[in-house]
Amino acid sequence: MLLETTDLRIGYLDGARNMKLAVDGVSLALDSGQTLGIAGESGCGKSTLARALMAYTRPGSRIVGGQVRIGGQNILDLPEPGRRAIRGRKIAMVPQNPLSSLTFHMTIGAQIDEILRQHEGLSKAAARARSIALLEATAMPDPAAVHGRYPHELSGGQRQRVVIAAALACQPDILVLDEPTTALDKTTELKVLKLVSDLRDRFGTALIYISHDLNVIARVCERICIMRDGKMVEAGPTRATFAAPREAYTRMLLRAVPRTTDPSPVRPPTAHPAPGGPGAHPVLQVENLSYHYAAGGLALPFFPRRKGVLAVRDLSFSIRAGRTLGLVGESGSGKSTVAAVISGLLPPGGGTLRFCGTPLRAAASRRSTDLRRRIQMVFQDPLSSLNPRLSVGRILMRPLRIFFGMNPIDARAEAGRLLERFEMPVAMLDRFPRQLSGGQQQRVALARAFAARPDLIVCDEVTSALDVSVQDHVLDLLLSLQAETGTACLFISHDLGVIKRVSDDVIVLQSGEVRDAGPTDAVFATPRHAYTRLLLEAAGSVIEPIPGHAPVSPASQGTNRGDLHA
Amino acid sequence: MPGAIPGTMPRAMRQILRTPMTVIGLVLVLVHVAVALCAPWIIPYGPSQLAGMPFEPPGDRFMLGTDVLGRDYLSRLLMGGRITLTVALVGVLIAIVAGAFLGLCAAWFGGLTDEVIMRLVDTKVAIPSILLVGVLIPGFGQSVGVLIFVIALVYVAGVIRTVRAQALTIKPQSFVAASVLRGESSLSIMLREFLPNVADLLCVEFAIRMSSAILLVSSLSFLGLGISPPTPDWGLMVSEGVGYIHTDPWLVIYPSIALCTLVVGLNLATEGVANALGLDAARGMVKG
Amino acid sequence: MLSAILRRIGLSFLILVLVSLFVFVATEILPGDALDVSLTDDDLAVLTPAQLAEMRAALGLDRPAAVRYVDWLSGALVGDFGTTILTGAPVGDIIWGPLRNSILLAVLTTLVAVPVAMVIGIIAAWWRDRAPDAIVSTGAVVGYSLPEFVSGNALILLFAIWLPIFPATITLYTQGPMLDMLVVAVLPVATIIIGSIAYLSRLLRLGLVESLASDYVERARLAGVSERRIVFVHAVPASLVPTLNAAALYVAGLLSGIVVVETVFAWPGLGLELINAIRKREVAVVQAAVFLGAVGVVIMNLMADLSIIALDPRVRRNTGRS
Repeated sequence: MLLETTDLRIGYLDGARNMKLAVDGVSLALDSGQTLGIAGESGCGKSTLARALMAYTRPGSRIVGGQVRIGGQNILDLPEPGRRAIRGRKIAMVPQNPLSSLTFHMTIGAQIDEILRQHEGLSKAAARARSIALLEATAMPDPAAVHGRYPHELSGGQRQRVVIAAALACQPDILVLDEPTTALDKTTELKVLKLVSDLRDRFGTALIYISHDLNVIARVCERICIMRDGKMVEAGPTRATFAAPREAYTRMLLRAVPRTTDPSPVRPPTAHPAPGGPGAHPVLQVENLSYHYAAGGLALPFFPRRKGVLAVRDLSFSIRAGRTLGLVGESGSGKSTVAAVISGLLPPGGGTLRFCGTPLRAAASRRSTDLRRRIQMVFQDPLSSLNPRLSVGRILMRPLRIFFGMNPIDARAEAGRLLERFEMPVAMLDRFPRQLSGGQQQRVALARAFAARPDLIVCDEVTSALDVSVQDHVLDLLLSLQAETGTACLFISHDLGVIKRVSDDVIVLQSGEVRDAGPTDAVFATPRHAYTRLLLEAAGSVIEPIPGHAPVSPASQGTNRGDLHA
Repeated sequence: MPGAIPGTMPRAMRQILRTPMTVIGLVLVLVHVAVALCAPWIIPYGPSQLAGMPFEPPGDRFMLGTDVLGRDYLSRLLMGGRITLTVALVGVLIAIVAGAFLGLCAAWFGGLTDEVIMRLVDTKVAIPSILLVGVLIPGFGQSVGVLIFVIALVYVAGVIRTVRAQALTIKPQSFVAASVLRGESSLSIMLREFLPNVADLLCVEFAIRMSSAILLVSSLSFLGLGISPPTPDWGLMVSEGVGYIHTDPWLVIYPSIALCTLVVGLNLATEGVANALGLDAARGMVKG
Repeated sequence: MLSAILRRIGLSFLILVLVSLFVFVATEILPGDALDVSLTDDDLAVLTPAQLAEMRAALGLDRPAAVRYVDWLSGALVGDFGTTILTGAPVGDIIWGPLRNSILLAVLTTLVAVPVAMVIGIIAAWWRDRAPDAIVSTGAVVGYSLPEFVSGNALILLFAIWLPIFPATITLYTQGPMLDMLVVAVLPVATIIIGSIAYLSRLLRLGLVESLASDYVERARLAGVSERRIVFVHAVPASLVPTLNAAALYVAGLLSGIVVVETVFAWPGLGLELINAIRKREVAVVQAAVFLGAVGVVIMNLMADLSIIALDPRVRRNTGRS
């Protein structure tokens, strides 16, 4: 057996100085050339486990029991120099965030060379030749030039290639990849995954792939183990496990993964009358929207400066009450710019925007209070969207007081009702954002938006920071609130599965241009543009349907959430 | 974003009380503050009263002896921190309030406002504080009022820098965008969204600047640019005693010890409290 | 990279112009002019208004403030700070000798303090949260809590009076030979470096601790790179960036400290000259000394900025240090 752990336990001291187990009795085995995926939600201990495979723990935690054997030898018995000789040579790690994982003041070449010189004692010239060859092996364009560049001069995908090249420098037997593509776009991720598979075939390296994304693991790994709270919940061949999961937790995880093959949301038969007049106008009508960031950058606070970039070109769409339009695209596609223009964070650019029939001409600060109330926005990072120094109660009461002029007593009562509607206890009014979980934070952010009783809600990647099971719950709540209130929704996401789950119509954006548009079912079933097909391929629906659990048919969805559509 | 979240105060408190150096620091500060407050009622002689002969040795009448003019040294020592503490306190408070406001303005409005404020800060930072005082004294004279103004001027620049840097990490956060979308005014955003998030920092700033201001006022008094005689003041007492350091070193040693225990105590306490709040005081402790 | 450097240099000049404006306004315009400030009440009682006007004309004080400012600044840029009001001696003659002595003190301090602080900072970071770190941290807090006039007098008591190894005060002429000055500089330098070492070593420790906890250090460790190489090749250069940023702010504090130390030891430097000039209300000397102090601070800040540009490839393209 190439790599084997038995009853591995890793402890850390929590805030109250009690020893807690981050990894609790994990045993796994890996043979040469095999691929093993370790999956689980945030905080399950998968990254801690990955580091422990190299006899390494972060400060504050330590291995308290068990063994890690590489080639039969328990590396936990080795002194530090012995461990160091194994790291990078027998077992190497590809870290999560390639930018922060490369030393900013050293060239790419220097950082790969030093590994070769350390482990293999190569001369300067020989190390340089080897590392250029390694960069070439990762399909890096112009490897000799990249060898002399600094990390910040490369793109995200290129940096990922660099850390992979550095990990492969000494041709290790085992490569541990810790969420290596989480920060990347899906199409870039697809390329990196193909590269990893190619390199594995070429060097015969065994892979351990850590990810929260079951789709990615299904693509890369023959076997999978699912972790929860530091324990291994389930392990087995990937296909078989996904086809017939034994544990309830695995089933729950699989069910929560949104898929592009899921059915579109079911809407109540009677559409809500459009606000502002009986059925006259769509809530939002956008014609030929273009947005150009001025050269030299904009002095606006919320967006990074870009130089003379056309962010969006000739975008037209409309959204009716109670319906959701999905806007999908990768970073730099201009989808966040659209959200900012409609919500009023950015002044309108070219084209016309109509809100319930009336033109929308100004940024939020110049709109009327009523208009500001009727368009609400929910942001990506739930923690960042709530002021950490204000209690949940004060956060929820603010819009009530501004938009409805409520007195503090009424506002607090209403805030409590909102919390309950979002399935949180009223007692949470006195808590502070950092005392809540990510899902709770995002539900508070949604409650704050719905507190204004908006006609349109703009959701910018609202679930991309959440675990899938939490995401599932938040999306459920959003759908049910929408059904209840008839609010129209512009839902922005990079995740096609999520888009499919919530939106009636979809627009695919690439570099500010529309690639595909239409009803979600139709676009996903028969994509017209090559880019849409690429996105769908990258999104992947590799996970086989689970017999008896998914896909959820429209009928069963109705019974599942019957109360929400009443 | 640094800073303890509300609700973890008990934990911060426990951490403070577990660190012996911090406790020592807090005790020293409390003793000094108590002495400064009570001094007029516990001193045996008036601080300027010529109670005895010059250079009387310590004894029954004068526990620490008398100084060059025959004033009771103990009384002067007990009174000697009051004026420095007052000047430092008022000056630093002005600096904190003005610096918080200007720093938030620089960060929030950005652009030209930021540019103007920061260039003025750079200008102030380029003039060492003792030289800054030197340049003001010929024109403005030497009084407690001028001293307070100088202290405020010296420390406002550092506060602006620190507050602005912190506010710039807050600015891109979505809750600020959300408040813009609600139509909140700039003042309301600065007070409701930013200020609570820099409050911890301002407390630490206050403590750091206090210890620095005490040192500065004492140094100025020592140089003859600060508190004027015959006010009892440690810096002044050292400068009055230096001429007799060969024969009566205690005239220098007593006020030095009094001053140092206060500042060391303040810095130890600040360090411990800042650590407990998750802030690091080291980069802020610049004398300027 | 070139544009980044040019921007720093341009900013430095702008700051110096603003400093000169401030110095000029503070001393010459509000509330009286240089003559009012320089003369004592006794002088004013004796002199007639006609005599005063004559003196003003001789000194050029009757010209508009803006003209005098431009005149002064253009002189200052080439090292001509005018003449003193009371004696008519050129300011340059008074300040160049002391300036040399002050620079000597500053250079000696830097040469001793920086290497010692680096060693101490690295020791504290290497043994983070253990005994050496605790000792260094507490020592540093005490170190920068001591005002120079206290630590200076303490050193005099210890090493000049109780153990007479060094002279207590400097009895050299302003133009004394360099070598003699080096010998008597021991106690003054020792006084200044207490605070400098305390402050710089803490900064470096903080930068190193942050750097050693970074993702890139973890990646290098997991690649089997030796710990020594990680500290000295990866972490130390990275930690110098925030250290230099903060240390640049400390330069002004160092100069303030030098003024006090010169007074304590009667070191014939610019600081001592400045204190005397303030007492005598000799405005032209005060202006020159303060302006030269600011020039020193700005030059050191510029050097720190340029070192950061050299150390951190990321700022070569961007503009501002925040």
